[in-house]
Amino acid sequence: MKTIPKWWTVTGTALWTASLALVAVSVWLVVTRAPIEQQMGVAQKIFYIHVPSAIATVIAFGLTFAASIAYLSTRNWAWDAVAVSSCEVGMVFATVVLLSGPLWARSSWNTWWTWEPRLTSFLVMWILYGGYHIVRHSVAAGSRREVSAVLGTVLIVTYPITLMSVHWWRGSLHPKNVMMTSDMRGILLVSMAAWILFYLAALQQRLRIEILREASNEADG
Amino acid sequence: MTFLWVTLKDLRLHARDFRFLATLGLFSLSLVLILSFAFGPIFQEPAREASATLWASLFFAGILGLTRALDLESESGGGDAVRLAGADPYSVYLGKTVSSFLLLGALFCLVLPCAAVFFDVGNLAVLPQVAGVAALALIGYAAWGTLFAALARGLKARELLLSVLLFPTLIPIWIGAVKLTHSLWADGTIEPVRDWLKIMAVMDVLGLAMAAWLFEVVQEAGE
Repeated sequence: MKTIPKWWTVTGTALWTASLALVAVSVWLVVTRAPIEQQMGVAQKIFYIHVPSAIATVIAFGLTFAASIAYLSTRNWAWDAVAVSSCEVGMVFATVVLLSGPLWARSSWNTWWTWEPRLTSFLVMWILYGGYHIVRHSVAAGSRREVSAVLGTVLIVTYPITLMSVHWWRGSLHPKNVMMTSDMRGILLVSMAAWILFYLAALQQRLRIEILREASNEADG
Repeated sequence: MTFLWVTLKDLRLHARDFRFLATLGLFSLSLVLILSFAFGPIFQEPAREASATLWASLFFAGILGLTRALDLESESGGGDAVRLAGADPYSVYLGKTVSSFLLLGALFCLVLPCAAVFFDVGNLAVLPQVAGVAALALIGYAAWGTLFAALARGLKARELLLSVLLFPTLIPIWIGAVKLTHSLWADGTIEPVRDWLKIMAVMDVLGLAMAAWLFEVVQEAGE
């Protein structure tokens, strides 16, 4: 029967400690050190949560794609566990992006929601990856991994559309390049590092559940 | 030639189920009618509203056609027979895609004149171009739809799940079809929105390529 190795627990504790410490530092920097943007005022600071969450989402769904392909090639359950865990954590970050976006939009564009390409394509991606979880829980256990891996692979089609939407469609309100002061850039980099580390800690924790579930399934025969 | 036999088998199954075909036709016409009421009675931009109505009706009604094809196969045991005969999975996929494409094409032939007449945008001069746009859109719809329908086979509430997965995936094809049809009906040319042809073609090729790679796994998972 599979058990959680000690090094896994130690790594998890280290990841959580480091990520929470870095998140605390980044929040402190955002509140006290980040310059207040002239036009948007304090609301611009949403940027330091919104952008890192979007980057974490991209990494998470990208890993789901890579792990799904790896599962289809090897049929090793561990890759399926990585794919579903990463997708689930990615959904949380994607939801943060979708919630923080309207707060930004209200201050910057004077509307909670607008049907501009990046927003729309991101919402489509969120719906599709939500569908991934619903399908996974609707499929019989015998074919769950195969169906999930196929979906995790196919859904990557939304990836380039979301990433390239600001270049492909006119009328995008999202800028192609963001002008920042060096202070802003530095704090954004710290925030990115903090939230990516937080993603890794959450992923490791979620994987632990999958390992325990696999062990329980094995024990049940 | 396997794909041709699968296509013929599916078309024969559809032809035997005339009551379903009639319901499908009436359902798509009802959608056209409801959307006409929503936009009308005085249309602001008939070409835009007609193209949106045409493609929304086709996409919604098409879902029923895609799931029905698999239901018929499960009921008759045809799918098992094809697998036991050792047919190449991609040939089976292609056969199903072609039969879905033909079913959607028949639906298009029914809905197009209704949308054109109800919204008064009929222009026979651009009919070949509209048919070309439809071919490109329906190939993509059939390619992705067949893959997703096979994936959703045996699931509870699969029509709902299929809609949740398929419609968002097909958004580039849907927007392209609406924009190109609108441009043809409004201006008689696709020049201002020509780029959408490339996007639709890429989606078509992607759908067929993904299925070539993954359909065997999907088929195994369904067994």
